[in-house]
Amino acid sequence: MSNRQLCHIVCFGNPLHGDDGFGPAVYQRLAALPLPDNVRVFDAGTPGLAALALFQGCHEVMIVDAVASGGIPGKLSRLSPNVVTAEITLPGHGIGVGYLLKAVAALPDCPRIEIIAAEILGAAPFRPGLSKPVRQAVDDAFVLLEKYAEQVSRQ
Amino acid sequence: MATIEVNINLNRVEGDLEIALVLDDGVVTEARTIGTLYRGFEQIMMGRAPRDALVITPRVCGICGTAHLYSAVLALEHAWRTPVPPNATRIRNLCLIAEGIQNDLRQTFLFFAPDFCHRRYSQHSWFDDAVDAFEPFRGSIYLETLAQTRKAVEIVAHFGGQWPHSSYMIPGGVTTPADLRRLLACRSVLDEIQRWYERRVIGASLDDWLALEDAERYFAWLDTPAHAGSALGLMSRAARSLGLHLCASGTPHMLSYGAWCDPDRWSAPHDARVLPGGFYDGGSGTVGPYDQQLINEHVRHSWFRPYDGGRHPWNGETVPDFQPNSDRYTWAKAPRYGDKVVQTGPLAELLIGGDALIASLHQAEGGSAWLRQFARVRRIAVELKQARLILDELTANLHEPHILNPAKTQETDGEGYGLIMAARGALGHWLKIKDGVIEKYQIITPTAWNASPRDSGGLPGHWEQSLVGLSVQDPDDPVEIGHVIRSHDPCLVCTVHVLNTGTRLRFGP
Repeated sequence: MSNRQLCHIVCFGNPLHGDDGFGPAVYQRLAALPLPDNVRVFDAGTPGLAALALFQGCHEVMIVDAVASGGIPGKLSRLSPNVVTAEITLPGHGIGVGYLLKAVAALPDCPRIEIIAAEILGAAPFRPGLSKPVRQAVDDAFVLLEKYAEQVSRQ
Repeated sequence: MATIEVNINLNRVEGDLEIALVLDDGVVTEARTIGTLYRGFEQIMMGRAPRDALVITPRVCGICGTAHLYSAVLALEHAWRTPVPPNATRIRNLCLIAEGIQNDLRQTFLFFAPDFCHRRYSQHSWFDDAVDAFEPFRGSIYLETLAQTRKAVEIVAHFGGQWPHSSYMIPGGVTTPADLRRLLACRSVLDEIQRWYERRVIGASLDDWLALEDAERYFAWLDTPAHAGSALGLMSRAARSLGLHLCASGTPHMLSYGAWCDPDRWSAPHDARVLPGGFYDGGSGTVGPYDQQLINEHVRHSWFRPYDGGRHPWNGETVPDFQPNSDRYTWAKAPRYGDKVVQTGPLAELLIGGDALIASLHQAEGGSAWLRQFARVRRIAVELKQARLILDELTANLHEPHILNPAKTQETDGEGYGLIMAARGALGHWLKIKDGVIEKYQIITPTAWNASPRDSGGLPGHWEQSLVGLSVQDPDDPVEIGHVIRSHDPCLVCTVHVLNTGTRLRFGP
């Protein structure tokens, strides 16, 4: 088996709910690129445990997701998965990325995980469209991930 | 690296179920199931090309999309009288089983069993074992279930390209044939799950387990080390010591459409099932055939445009009409079989389908929260056995067609229905096609049956009935309610709202 690094870029979010569409918007931009063959990009939606499969068969996963604002909407952060708390709700349709990450970490073949998170301005239900600061964050995340994919392709 | 402080809350906006409870001296005297989300899939379908149902309706649910796809394709085939080759039905059944196994295992060991690790139970003899096995993210069975269930729906991906929300069943068959490579891959997935199920979940071989036919023998077996130490044995010991085998039976009536279309006796006008369907009359204790004409839906307590009594789905409508400050309380309708409130799910499927052990346990103790959960684990064995048979049949008939494409002229106007057993029970799609487009589309999901509100006659739904009479020790932490809610395998996160105290607690499926 090849030792080449395989990376999955997994974008979470719901474009119908305002800035929660950050992940899918980044996906749209990345999917239009000719990415190296050891980088795969996924529009994961809001799947809960169904996304477990996207954490298999790769060395590293970059998660792209929206986070509630800490005061600076549009601010992009690179987070480690252990700062994400599991949701109060239990799994099923109400499962979130926090629960999913705990489940991935509990499995023996857990890849390296990093999160590219944008602080959102608002995520009103069924109000599609990104706010201005989060649109800027999409541009920033795109540049960052394009560079990242380039690095991975050289590994 | 600097510490970044952000308030991370990645919960998604999702449709919820809410249960409003009234407690009187710690006993539930009233329960109302509230669907807090209007979904409107039926309205979306109107005016669309009939085949759009194959793409849109699998999105009803992120856990049981295969079941919705199966119902939708059957409804179209029923309307068009489309013949279906046996291999197509085999592949459809195999995929439905894969989805069912994933659901049944996750529901049992990720959602239901972890409640036994509640600190209130720390004095029970089984508590340490329960924590070792079921504690979220740590317990051995919990972790093994996570790992095992990742693989099950790979079977769907082999035939459908993806899971969830796949659209590979089309009128006349499926899009991808079986070949030896796919069958081998499916066999390997099933073999691994079966070995684990035998070793860890039941502590016996599949054949021995399925041969166990009466309650007495099961209780004796429960005392043997092999089974007592297994995941199901542990769950049963814990549940029974808490009395979950004696409570929360809900309505005594049950409905099953029958599990898995029989490949050789399928396509209109035939409607044979591998496990027969039927209606279990809880009054007389007898099983008889069911008649889909008797199914009707009420909106008397729902936020829909009012109509009198119940309507058969072909004449149904789903026009939203929010009426706050009235005695209407939910976005769900109340399906009834004739005038009867029914429950559906693995217990109904196996009892009506003729599983001797389930029938014996039901006769001995009646329906209960424990028996519903037990039946779910029992069904996995039935599913594994059926899946193996399907793989053998596909291997023996590889050359046969996987689709008989209907001529465009066959796609006529008409009406049809597709009724199957999804993981959570009876699922039906009804449609009418007029002038080449969908005129009416109605879906009755298993949770619509189970979580139905009161009907025109004021009769509460199954969950509502199952909660009444339950004693709650601590209204601020009603773990008893959690056991019962989860035993119904709700398809949405369910919030329990204790009206007296204002306590709100959320229970996942």
